[in-house]
Amino acid sequence: MRRLITMAMIVIGVGLMLLGYFMSAPWGADSVVNSDPRIPFSPAIFVLGVVTVFSSALVYELLPNRFE
Amino acid sequence: MTAETKTRAELPQGVARLTARWWIFLAALGLLTLVGVYAYAQEATTGMIVTGMRNVGTMGGATWALYISMVVYFIGVSFAGVTVAALIRIFNLDHLRPIVRIAELLTVVALVLGGLAIIADLGQPLRGIVNLFKYARPQSPFFGTFTLVVAGYLFASLVYLYLGGRRDAARLADYSGNGLRWYHRLWAMGYKDTPEERQRHRTVSFWLALSIIPLLIVAHSTLGFVFGLQVGRPGWYGTLQAPAFVALAGVSGIGLIIVFAAIVRRSLGLQLQINMRIFRWLGTFLMVMLFVYLYFLVVELLTLLYATPEVEKRLSDALLFGEYAPVYWSSVGALVVSVVALAVMALRRSWGLGWVVAAGVLVNLAAIGKRFLIVVPSQTHGMLLPYEIGSYTPTWEELAVVMGLFSLGALLLVGFLKTFPAVPLDIADIPRPEDKEDSAHA
Repeated sequence: MRRLITMAMIVIGVGLMLLGYFMSAPWGADSVVNSDPRIPFSPAIFVLGVVTVFSSALVYELLPNRFE
Repeated sequence: MTAETKTRAELPQGVARLTARWWIFLAALGLLTLVGVYAYAQEATTGMIVTGMRNVGTMGGATWALYISMVVYFIGVSFAGVTVAALIRIFNLDHLRPIVRIAELLTVVALVLGGLAIIADLGQPLRGIVNLFKYARPQSPFFGTFTLVVAGYLFASLVYLYLGGRRDAARLADYSGNGLRWYHRLWAMGYKDTPEERQRHRTVSFWLALSIIPLLIVAHSTLGFVFGLQVGRPGWYGTLQAPAFVALAGVSGIGLIIVFAAIVRRSLGLQLQINMRIFRWLGTFLMVMLFVYLYFLVVELLTLLYATPEVEKRLSDALLFGEYAPVYWSSVGALVVSVVALAVMALRRSWGLGWVVAAGVLVNLAAIGKRFLIVVPSQTHGMLLPYEIGSYTPTWEELAVVMGLFSLGALLLVGFLKTFPAVPLDIADIPRPEDKEDSAHA
């Protein structure tokens, strides 16, 4: 269970990083005017992804033994 | 916890013990920090006009100046702390374990100071922070600096420092008469030091270390790219910026670990734990990093001097013979003196603590000088448009803010050392015979 939760956090974190990264980049924008991130605050989503990945270490160590 | 630890009333390594001298030291640091806060308040209320920064070209100044130099310096310092900590864990360098927490702590504090220096540089800090979260674009190296360095790297280092301290926190929470028991209990978060918990911590430490190293190389290269990718700025644009940033980051960071470790060793009486063997390793590492950086420096110098285009020549003249020459040559001199001193000690196989610490101090002064020279001259002397040559002189407000940052850093370091052991307790308890022998030569 502990490993499962940790792995899930890593996968979700990497997913958020990819989402934040690609939504921040102006792919296919035809001009600078249309080059804002596709999703509002998508750079913050990237940061959230990085934080989630490293939080998995906290979860792995801090989860009580009943989650074994 | 053992019965022995429960009976000892006094916490180890001076934790929670503040003598009158410590109070005076803390008060002096607090005062200097307040001076910095006052100077920043002047800047925040009056505007950036109180600084020496002016527009590039039209106003003959530099928009990135002392603050950005300090951002690069502080983030550079952070590099070595977590690198050393990660190397110790990945390669099982057990003899260096006494400095693992010192190195991690230095990284966290340096990153906090780097973040604050960025805020000091922004005329509208709140707008800057919100817009970065809202509009930062991956094409810009600032995206990497902001997301990887300030957010990811700082968070990862905090996690690393926190998890590495749980075992000691649990031990300290068991001491009778511990006025900080609540804090240590909170840190320990129910840690019981069972074999399963130890194994889990080993696993996490290894994977964290493994993931932090590529992260920090990318993060520091990104910081180099902030300058190195600017095509229209002579002196900045170049392929060597990113690797040279990483190399100088290693030099300044290792130098500061040496200085900080020596201060901790002396002030807390940890001669047996932070022994000469550790300083020998750090000195050798510093020497290697210095050779690598000096190689970059020579390559950069040759490129600047060989068949230089006109604008590049104006810049190189200012650096080598003009108004920036004193800073340039004193920085280069400090680096050369340090590498020679370290090489002589390595060749003679006889290391003196004083010399190693002196090298650590010198390389940091040189690193501050070099960071300033990377940031400022390319703006005052590196215009491609026909503007007059500019100049930049920091005002007292900028100097006071920087002094305040250093004082705040010292306060954070001392504050930590007075609430938590600098050296992991399992090492501090049992000095090994070879350590005793080493410390005798220190």
